[in-house]
Amino acid sequence: MRSNNRKRGKTGAVVALCIVLALTVIAGVIGVTGLTLPPRGLYKVLNWMPTTDKANWPESIPLGLDLRGGMYVEYSSEAPEGSEANFEELLNGTMSIITQRLTDKGFTEANVQRIGTDGIRVEIPDVQDDTVLDLIGAAAKLEFKGPDGNTFMTGDMVKTATYYYAEGDHQIAFSLTDEGKELFADMTAKSVGQRIAIYLDGVELINPTVQTAITDGNGVINGLGTAENASTIAAKIQSGALPLVLTQQKVDKVNATLGADAVSSSVKAAIIGILLVMVLMIIRYRLNGVVASWALSIYVILLFFLIALFKIQLTLPGLAGIVLGIGMAVDANVIIFERFNEEVRAGKTLKNAVRAGFKNAMSAILDSNITTLIAAIVLLIYGTGSIQGFGKTLLLGVIVSMFTAVVVTRFLLNKLVQTGIKNVALFTKVSAEKEVEE
Amino acid sequence: MKIKNRSKICLIISASIMVIALILSLCGQGINMGIDFEGGLSMEYNMKVAVDKAEVEKVLDGMNTASYTVTVQGSDDDEAVIRIKDVAQDDIQKLQETFENGIKAVYADAECIGDVNYVGPVAGATLVKNAILSVAIAAVLMLIYIAIRFDLNSGLSAVFGLAHDVLMMLSFMVILRNVIQMNSSFIAAMLTIVGYSINNTIVIFDRIRENAKKMPNAPREEVTNISIKECLGRTICTTATTLITIVALCVLGVASIKEFALPIIIGILSGVYSANMINGYVWAFLEEKRKSRKA
Repeated sequence: MRSNNRKRGKTGAVVALCIVLALTVIAGVIGVTGLTLPPRGLYKVLNWMPTTDKANWPESIPLGLDLRGGMYVEYSSEAPEGSEANFEELLNGTMSIITQRLTDKGFTEANVQRIGTDGIRVEIPDVQDDTVLDLIGAAAKLEFKGPDGNTFMTGDMVKTATYYYAEGDHQIAFSLTDEGKELFADMTAKSVGQRIAIYLDGVELINPTVQTAITDGNGVINGLGTAENASTIAAKIQSGALPLVLTQQKVDKVNATLGADAVSSSVKAAIIGILLVMVLMIIRYRLNGVVASWALSIYVILLFFLIALFKIQLTLPGLAGIVLGIGMAVDANVIIFERFNEEVRAGKTLKNAVRAGFKNAMSAILDSNITTLIAAIVLLIYGTGSIQGFGKTLLLGVIVSMFTAVVVTRFLLNKLVQTGIKNVALFTKVSAEKEVEE
Repeated sequence: MKIKNRSKICLIISASIMVIALILSLCGQGINMGIDFEGGLSMEYNMKVAVDKAEVEKVLDGMNTASYTVTVQGSDDDEAVIRIKDVAQDDIQKLQETFENGIKAVYADAECIGDVNYVGPVAGATLVKNAILSVAIAAVLMLIYIAIRFDLNSGLSAVFGLAHDVLMMLSFMVILRNVIQMNSSFIAAMLTIVGYSINNTIVIFDRIRENAKKMPNAPREEVTNISIKECLGRTICTTATTLITIVALCVLGVASIKEFALPIIIGILSGVYSANMINGYVWAFLEEKRKSRKA
């Protein structure tokens, strides 16, 4: 009965190993070549899954500006002289205007990001044309149009426009110049109950209904829904130009071919690195080295799958970080195998050595990875641009490598031992008399 | 194999390297600051034929620019990187046009390839500030974590090791100034080392933690010796696997990857060195001191 159980356990272990092997190979092949699925199917329910014919890694991973080519600009900003408005509000307003302008002109992939307290970073992929910069800094055209659709007033007649919150409602208060006051009074007097519209760069911002004639040049627009909406619109009305004065700090135009070179050389380095690491692990840890190489393959597959899934932008330092991570990913395995070897040499059975090896290695693995996580999180918070991208891949790499070491390696090693391998020499160098039988 | 406490000698070696770097910096031979830190305009041109540096410099001399540098690179020496310092933001386009006209008179097929990169004077200072801030924050957080998981002395000696590694990286940036420029990727490299090199220290400290419990009466220095020796197999293996991939990257990679990979290689070597030769003994020293204070 017992030996029957053991036999069943052995068969089970072999089957389990074969299934994992098959899954690893299939996932690896799909990752590299991509998978074309019919357009309709149950899997469509999970719309976050990369199921299009672009499901292979190279195409579903977004490349950062430094790899893809394009340009980025960093601005420092300051409030215009005499402005008393909240700086945060003005900054957010400025960023949303820049985003809108770029989107309107077809640069839909442009990314506007805040850096530090007063910096704005604008990334525009695939473009290396200075005229885009003019677009960002240009004065906007703000127009007030009456119910008939004709412009009756322009943005230079607006003195201030500020967001405020009153009576449970998000509102904008605005005041006009003397010239604006008269025009606005005329228009509102004859269009009570009708709508007037405010346009920015030809795009309608808002079209409030006139409730009463506004003759003193001070008006209120209410019912704007959210605080964010109201303050953004206020910032846009506030000034025909951008709410903040921008100074270019940094302009970088990146050639796409340079990025392509960087990608291909990194891929080459990664492949050479992976193979050499595998050879080294197998020479030193024998069967365990095979397990580590297997786990390393799973690590790479899983890492790229997650990068594609979360659409993490791959930057130059990020790419270099992944290649570096390959060497580090086996570290947890190394710690475990060294402990395992110690236990085997101390005379433990293979099964017990696996258990004790993991148990003793766990605190070192946990502590060393958490300190690396701390560095990754600091990079993520304080880094900008490509360095932030590196922080993301580092963070993901540490988490995935911990998972593969603790879960995958343990599973594979347990199953391997369960298949009934008894020859200790397959795992580590031992003197002959110490070889143990189960 | 016997491991002895040679930490004093090692500290002297490290300190001398740092002092040499410091003296070099004071003599004006400091870190070769790249455009990210120093500001200015950088352009890359392919001239299609081998470049004569003097010819390019002649063009730049005729342009009334402040200081500039010309670097010739590429497999056929046909590429030139031109860096001009102290450029006002409004002059970028004009400057580039003037140069392009000038250089085309010399090399008719000259073509702007690669990056055109402008960095204002403030950006570099912000970068330095952020770099120092992030390393300091990471170090403090690690100190807190290690102090909780191990003990305060372990935390202090681990952070001591970190400071050592970062200073070593900076020192080698001075010593290798002709080989490598410091750009923003150096900050990523530095934080990578802050994150990774501490792994070696932690794995050894984990052994020390375990062994210290087993032999409470042994001198701490001996505990450290034994622990380092027990971890040696892991240290060698992991260092080898890490170096394999990063060296492959450094050899095969493009210039901007080298700027990242080389400091990392230095940092990894320095990290292994400090973890095995210095940090454990700093801990032992602090522990013995604490004990004698108690007694």
